Amino acid sequence: MNMKIRQTSLLLLAGLFSLQLLSSCSKIKDERNDVTDPALQQTLLDLVSANPQLSTFKEYLVKTGYDKIIRSSRNYTVFAPVNSALSSLDPAIVNDAAKLKSFVGNHIALQQYRTSEVAELTRIAMLNDKYNNMQGKKIEDANITVADKYAGNGLLQVIDKALPSLDNCWDFLSNNSNAPVKQKTFMLSLFRKVFDATNAVVVGINPNTGEPIYQAGTDSVFTNLFWNKVHDLRQEKKQFTLFMLADAAWDAEVTKYMPYYVTNTADSNTLVTSWNVVKDFAVDTVYQPNAIPDTVLSKFGTKLPVNKSAIVKTIKTSNGIVYIMSQMNVLPASKILEITVQGESYNASSVNRRSNTYFRDRYNTVTGKDFTDVLVFNHGVSNFWLRYDIPEVPSVKYKAYAVALNDFQTAAYTQRLGIGGIVTTLSMLVNPNVYSEVYIGEFTQSKYSPVFNLYLLGANSTTAAVNPLSCDYIKLVPSL
Amino acid sequence: MKKITLLEFAVVLMMLVSLSACKKVFDIQPEDQLDEANAYQNVYDADAAVIGIYGKFMGLAEQYVVLNELRADLLDVTANSNEALRQINTHTVTENNPYASPKPFYELILNCNDVLAHFKVMVQDKKMNEEQFNQRYSDIAALRSFLYLQLGIHFGDVPYVTSTLKNVDEVKNAANFKRIPFNALLDSLISNTETIPFKEIYPSGSGLNITVDGYQTQKFYINKKVLLGDLYLWKGNYQKAADYYRQVMEYGTTAFGFGEDFYSYYKLGWAGGHNHYVSYGRAGDASTLTYNDGWRVIFESAYGSNSLNREWVWVLPFDNKFKPENSLIKLFSPIGGQYLVRPSQEVYDLWDGETQRPAQGTSIPYDARKLLSTMNIGGQPVAMKYLYNYINWATGTAATPLIKNGKWFLFRQTHLHMRYAEAANRLGKHRIAWALVSGGFAAAYPAPTSDVTNYHNTLAEPYPFNFDARNSGNSGVPYYRADWYRQIGIRARALVTDWQISSDSLNTIEAGIIKEGALENAFEGTRWPDLLRVALRKNDPAFVADKVYNKLVKSGISAGAASAARAKLMARDWYLPFKW
Repeated sequence: MNMKIRQTSLLLLAGLFSLQLLSSCSKIKDERNDVTDPALQQTLLDLVSANPQLSTFKEYLVKTGYDKIIRSSRNYTVFAPVNSALSSLDPAIVNDAAKLKSFVGNHIALQQYRTSEVAELTRIAMLNDKYNNMQGKKIEDANITVADKYAGNGLLQVIDKALPSLDNCWDFLSNNSNAPVKQKTFMLSLFRKVFDATNAVVVGINPNTGEPIYQAGTDSVFTNLFWNKVHDLRQEKKQFTLFMLADAAWDAEVTKYMPYYVTNTADSNTLVTSWNVVKDFAVDTVYQPNAIPDTVLSKFGTKLPVNKSAIVKTIKTSNGIVYIMSQMNVLPASKILEITVQGESYNASSVNRRSNTYFRDRYNTVTGKDFTDVLVFNHGVSNFWLRYDIPEVPSVKYKAYAVALNDFQTAAYTQRLGIGGIVTTLSMLVNPNVYSEVYIGEFTQSKYSPVFNLYLLGANSTTAAVNPLSCDYIKLVPSL
Repeated sequence: MKKITLLEFAVVLMMLVSLSACKKVFDIQPEDQLDEANAYQNVYDADAAVIGIYGKFMGLAEQYVVLNELRADLLDVTANSNEALRQINTHTVTENNPYASPKPFYELILNCNDVLAHFKVMVQDKKMNEEQFNQRYSDIAALRSFLYLQLGIHFGDVPYVTSTLKNVDEVKNAANFKRIPFNALLDSLISNTETIPFKEIYPSGSGLNITVDGYQTQKFYINKKVLLGDLYLWKGNYQKAADYYRQVMEYGTTAFGFGEDFYSYYKLGWAGGHNHYVSYGRAGDASTLTYNDGWRVIFESAYGSNSLNREWVWVLPFDNKFKPENSLIKLFSPIGGQYLVRPSQEVYDLWDGETQRPAQGTSIPYDARKLLSTMNIGGQPVAMKYLYNYINWATGTAATPLIKNGKWFLFRQTHLHMRYAEAANRLGKHRIAWALVSGGFAAAYPAPTSDVTNYHNTLAEPYPFNFDARNSGNSGVPYYRADWYRQIGIRARALVTDWQISSDSLNTIEAGIIKEGALENAFEGTRWPDLLRVALRKNDPAFVADKVYNKLVKSGISAGAASAARAKLMARDWYLPFKW
């Protein structure tokens, strides 16, 4: 008991002692943590106001209300153009509140970007939802003349040129009178209502299927095919190069490609052809005029020949660049590519014979590489087939090749390729232990097929040694 | 700054005074700690000491795997690996590398010495009987020999301490404890281990062969005969090595009556439900490789199961219910671990260089053990063997990320058969070696007709080379099944093609066994010893140097670093610095 009291009092004393220690130290701590740098007492607005070179910019800040923002406590980088850079600003911008707001917002970033820390080309987000490219003491075309002046809420970079708030590629295409009419009209015609349940309102459940019933109008979005299938040219964060053909050139390209996309009606022929012409015209790399190569590879593997003398106009946009071309002669051989179908990736079979189907891993003695193929053996079905669905096949002549490995029996056997069905066929003799590509034959597609069915067809026999199917891959080479 | 006041001075003084007043309190014997003098009272205390030694032994798992695998050619470092691991990988170990310190080994050795000394006192004082003493003393003495063998493999010249020391740092004193060369160390270890009074496993019913926390403890302890086989194999006494290995191979024959265990326990024989074969749902269809059964299950099977018992000779469990924590998940796993090591490109190339037995035409051009030993998780190649109790083979995720259960694999029947084959091969029994590692006895000694009386066996050979694998077939008259009739070679079990031996059987088969060790037992902590043993035996440093070089070159490290490692190993500079 005695011990316990002593311990308690000791604890108390020790606590007192440490408290005292703390309090005696507090003065030192205060001094160390004090903000002594007067620059940090200021806001960015103070810095801008203090510089007479930035008086015009300050005036615009006040006019647009951004003065209150850069006085606030979050961190910003303000790229302030000097007065001389703003003297030539289009009065149409100055006098339009919305345009001016977007213009000023294009000079303020909601983060600190110190010139020494932005060594790599960086796309930085601005307050008007657009992006500017910054690298070291350069932002877009402007030079940072007075760098990294800091205030309590960020950095001030003084620049020698204004940063115009540009349209993005899609805005240019849809709004600007410089955009060639025919290509523009076609691209704007690609708006479709597409099912999208993200924001749909469920109003009931179908009692038969159990599927939800959506309120009319909420279950789809109005969107452009080009955005979904090629590139969404509205995205500000990425950068694109968009080629637009002047009307005559557009017509020439479409006319040239009409025979390759033959359909049942003239309208759909034009539609499919135009789509296949235009789908290659946007790439998600920005090619500056001085650095554009003579061939640009599209998303779909098409080589676009870029003749610099055919560039009629170059338009810089907020997310890339648009070239208006008087001519762009894309070769059919470059647009219509060979098709390779992997044997093991079939879409359907005539009868379920998975138990006789072998996905085999093998070593190809010709290529020196491993491969996977399909073998259907001892399936006991006459005219057994595997079907391959190939999307968007143009109306051209194709030559068919295949690698089919017969390493399981010494007798050769015959399998067939069914073209669009199992009536029209090409025969392929499969000799033992052949690892190289074998030419099968050619066929002509008279019409463009949204989905082309290719069949690998076995012999009209139920004998195991006669009716096997085996295939590493089938290659269709367009004959142009 | 303030001056110290009188009050403050008084407080400090008081604290000091009160401390001295407490002295008497500290003199009281603690109630929750056992003093050493009272620790060894009866056989249960002795059992606790044995379990304590093994518990501490498990703390060596990470270092054991790193030293035995990362120094060799099958494991590689990752982007996460620290400098210490990189040094081990490139054979550029400097002082203070925690993985290259012999200290943890010596700490445990001194613990063993201490326990052994106390056991001797206990038996003198009649605190345990002679039989109990023999079992426990032999176990700890064998484990100590195992630790010394490891030290010899990695450090070359090491001090051999069998007396009790309180302070592990005394071992460093070269004046008191002379460092003896590896070869002389082997002599000491053999003579010491040969004299242990008990070489069997703990009998069932013993306090050390029971089920605790859901774990059957029988496989926790070192197999003394395997250890002796290993010591003789390192020493080059192949006859004795083969003798001891054979005794373990025949464990099932002596321990069980006719039945599945009899025919398959350590015999690499098939058994209903526990084949451990590499197989396909439909032979020839590569997409039907069996994951949920067969060879992969070797690493996932539960303690006490037939699957584990028939395959594993020595394996210790990690469980979240007891210490130590599973250091191997930290080492190998990108989930719940640090992913410090990965399978090397070299081991993938070894697997890819194999072909499987033909089905539906020719062969699948790789060894399926590649797919069963490794996995790609989040784009990273992961050595999976230690992780199958933690990461689901099908999903690649950990169902219970905080329950880090697993196993430390030390020895299984494929090690046993390959080491036996290594010894047999050296004694000119090439065909027996081929039968064990490649195609099985029935294939090595095929019968020309259905009468197999004089085939499928090696009974003309003296012990330990007399195997009987005869099988009359279902319609054979007389109908018989010999002890080894279910045996199937290691390569046959893994579905890869048999070795074709044309000339120089000795060297071809020896190299083949070591290579098969990589394919079958990759990452299980035996690769570096395998390479070093053959390099020492053949006096051929290139045997180990070239393999390490291949790994380093393929790992994308600078050619200079790879060449430097090769040059170091070529100069027989195989051992780590003995420093801590």
